[in-house]
Amino acid sequence: VDLADLADAALDAVRATRDTRIEYADVRATHDETESVDVRDDRVEGVSRRSSRGVGIRVLVDGAWGFAATAAASPADVRSAVDVAIDVARASGHVRGEHNRTRLDETPPASGSYVTPHERDPLEVPLAEKVEHLLAAAAAAREAQGLSFVEVVTDGFRRRMAFRSTAGARIEQTVLQVGGGLHAWAVGGGEAQVRCYPNSYRGQFVTGGWEAVLALDLPHHAFDTARDAVALLDAPDLPYAEDATVVVDSSQVALQVHESIGHPLELDRILGMERAYAGTSFVDVDDRGSLQYGSPLVTVTADATTPGGLGTFGYDDEGVPAATADLIRDGKLVGFLTNRETAAELGERSGGTARADSWGTIPLIRMSNVSLAPGEGDLESIVADTADGFLLVTNRSWSIDDRRHNFQFGCEVAYEIKNGQRGRLYRNSSYAGRTVDFWRSCDALGGADDWLVWGVPNCGKGEPAQNARVGHGASTGRFRATIGVR
Amino acid sequence: MAGRLGPERLPALADDAVGIAGADAVEVVLTATATSLTRFADSRIHQNVARTDGEARVRVVVDGNRVGVGVTNDLSPSGIRETAERAREAATVSPPDPTFRGLPAPPPAGYPDVAAYDERTAATEPAQRADLVARMLAELPRGVYGAGAAVTDAGELAVVNSQGVRAYTRSTRAMLRILASGGDSTGYAEAGAWRAGDLRPEALGERAARKVALGAHPQDVPAGSYPVVLEPLAVATLVEWLGEAGLAGKAALEGRSPVSGRIGEQICSPLVTIVDDATSPLVPGMPFDYEGTPKRRLPLIERGVAVGVAHDTTSAALAGAPGSTGHALPAPNGDGGVPTHLLMEPGDGSVDDLVSGVERGLLVTRFHYTNLTHPTTSTITGMTRDGTFWIEDGRVAYGARNLRFTQSIVDALAGVDAVGAETALSAFLLAGAVRVPALRLRSFAFTSTTTY
Repeated sequence: VDLADLADAALDAVRATRDTRIEYADVRATHDETESVDVRDDRVEGVSRRSSRGVGIRVLVDGAWGFAATAAASPADVRSAVDVAIDVARASGHVRGEHNRTRLDETPPASGSYVTPHERDPLEVPLAEKVEHLLAAAAAAREAQGLSFVEVVTDGFRRRMAFRSTAGARIEQTVLQVGGGLHAWAVGGGEAQVRCYPNSYRGQFVTGGWEAVLALDLPHHAFDTARDAVALLDAPDLPYAEDATVVVDSSQVALQVHESIGHPLELDRILGMERAYAGTSFVDVDDRGSLQYGSPLVTVTADATTPGGLGTFGYDDEGVPAATADLIRDGKLVGFLTNRETAAELGERSGGTARADSWGTIPLIRMSNVSLAPGEGDLESIVADTADGFLLVTNRSWSIDDRRHNFQFGCEVAYEIKNGQRGRLYRNSSYAGRTVDFWRSCDALGGADDWLVWGVPNCGKGEPAQNARVGHGASTGRFRATIGVR
Repeated sequence: MAGRLGPERLPALADDAVGIAGADAVEVVLTATATSLTRFADSRIHQNVARTDGEARVRVVVDGNRVGVGVTNDLSPSGIRETAERAREAATVSPPDPTFRGLPAPPPAGYPDVAAYDERTAATEPAQRADLVARMLAELPRGVYGAGAAVTDAGELAVVNSQGVRAYTRSTRAMLRILASGGDSTGYAEAGAWRAGDLRPEALGERAARKVALGAHPQDVPAGSYPVVLEPLAVATLVEWLGEAGLAGKAALEGRSPVSGRIGEQICSPLVTIVDDATSPLVPGMPFDYEGTPKRRLPLIERGVAVGVAHDTTSAALAGAPGSTGHALPAPNGDGGVPTHLLMEPGDGSVDDLVSGVERGLLVTRFHYTNLTHPTTSTITGMTRDGTFWIEDGRVAYGARNLRFTQSIVDALAGVDAVGAETALSAFLLAGAVRVPALRLRSFAFTSTTTY
């Protein structure tokens, strides 16, 4: 069944109910395809191709939401799903608390289409070519003496979607996402150390085609990455110190933005909608325009149009065209991530950041590309400008409290910095702090040449749990934080 | 919706794929699921969803040890056949995998009986979930607001392979969660069961509300190591991480686990016994794993001694173990077998009894956003949340502002000096669950503080 036909059929089924209590409905017919290849040493540990197709129907009945989704595409199945969605919405209306009716913003219905710019669709590249590329990188890594094992992986995602709404929206969209990376492991003496390129957790991800994976040049970086992993086995643990100067590489700054700027500025969290699971935010609605979130160097935008960003698309999953919005300007909080429902609470229009991870889930506020504007210089010049501190590189673990306030990040490697020189290597490194204190301490950010849009392919939120793939432009940064663990 | 295909029709969907030409062996894992979740915040239902789906996961082996996997949610004959063909294509381009040891044969003794399906839970209507939510909320006093969820799921699972395995099971799941917020404190309670009728929504609402009252006007507790009483939700987090990172056979084999090279050693307090047992009536179980290997009771830590780890067929062969322990995850899975139905043996005494043995320490309801920071020491970090209390002279003195902890799980469990009598089913892992009691630990490392 063609996705556009399926979406039309679902919308027709909503209209055919002639239920006058339906204030609004939208339908998303979606086909997700994924191909993953995992290589370990000289063998393929996993090759999988996944396909999932279905339609989700969201209805607003008497000011309360209902949603039903089905993988089955027959007219009877679609009609049944519409009936379930309406039943679910009526049940929602039974428990309203002190809240009035849910309202949507005034975003006009959009029509159009979008396809991610690309050269080679990652789902059309021969598997043999992917396997050969990854095995070449693994072979290069295995030249490093002392390496225990190496994993090299790639994932490609293709989502085709047709969106319709009772307000008149008609959208077709194809988004391609792709990425890959290398994890080199050294195990011995009671330690298990990993070094990754270009990033941890399956590597670097972007929107685009297979050419983006080739551009990572995994084989060329494999040996050095493996050698660095082995070196960690003999390195000391990073010592504990309070109020230390930390220089953080751009990939880790990207995750810092994700956890301590992106999530706390999701308006559904701020309004308490995610309270029981992911948590809330230390930020209040009234903080906009007054909260000094960071130093004057800190300017952050949400931009769904960033070329190649993992969070780049044409339309969000409420049919809102891709948009750009300031979140923090010169250190001051100026905006939030919003969807149609939460924007309406502020009397504004959606910022276009509602996304669902499949046809079977509802759109939630998710980051698009939440990016920190570049400053000047680069990692090396910032290190050279640091008298006494530590350089921390590549995320290894992350944790932050339920108000996005107290964080601790583990990194794969740390280096002592003395008088502008990179010195001793440390393992099991971490830094910790409180969000606003940390961002206010920012006194250096790398420039445009040091700035890269990093992909975070594993952002979790919501119940049932949804995964989002989002992007963060970031450059090297310098801050004050507690390092190590007491 | 569960049971819509049944023990004959669901496995039969695999028959064409299992016979695909050009394959040495084929495995098809089939699921059919109906998931419903009613979410509430500020004491109103704000998200409410229902989804029906299915999946065919086809693993094809060519040339003895070249393996490929295809997955589809199109359960039509052509959808599954095309997926099998794609999996065969993937296998053909994969180099030989010398670690692949074939697909399991049918078990001579068949599969254990596992009770995990309840027709009434499967048939729960949206209005009934809304009623469960309303009954939790009714227990909250004025000025206290609830957020949480009511979940009812039903699913069918079949594993069919060309060696003759043909296994089918079905299960249901019900969960209630409530976070109560009032003034400057929060409280949380949750419960899970395979029968929705076993859940007591009023008791959960009342418990969450009680924590709000007990934790009002929280005070700072400085970072440091303290004796703690962990309620079952917090214990579940430790056991879940230990199972995933420490008791997986492949991680142990490769020196990445705290039990690597330590099987037979005393690693925890003699009061700690942990088993994996998907056949236990205490958890929503399953009779077989995703390779069709029968589930059975697997001791992991007995009286504090590390005695076992979980394997699938491949990791068992790599480790020289007698065979799979029945812990395969859906293919492809490079991590090997992982324990998914973890039970910790209870002791005696209530949470209050455990608290009474603490002179100065903390009582923790649950943890938030935990992550593994050091695999070989099983060190995790995370925050306390929704009910953290300072204990003085054996009694809860006042609510404490939340703290970050960074702590080795094995070291923490080495310091267990009392175990609660009641267990709670407090987390669902993959298709599994964790059922654990409250614990009292001699020392737990809190490494930083918050302002709330």
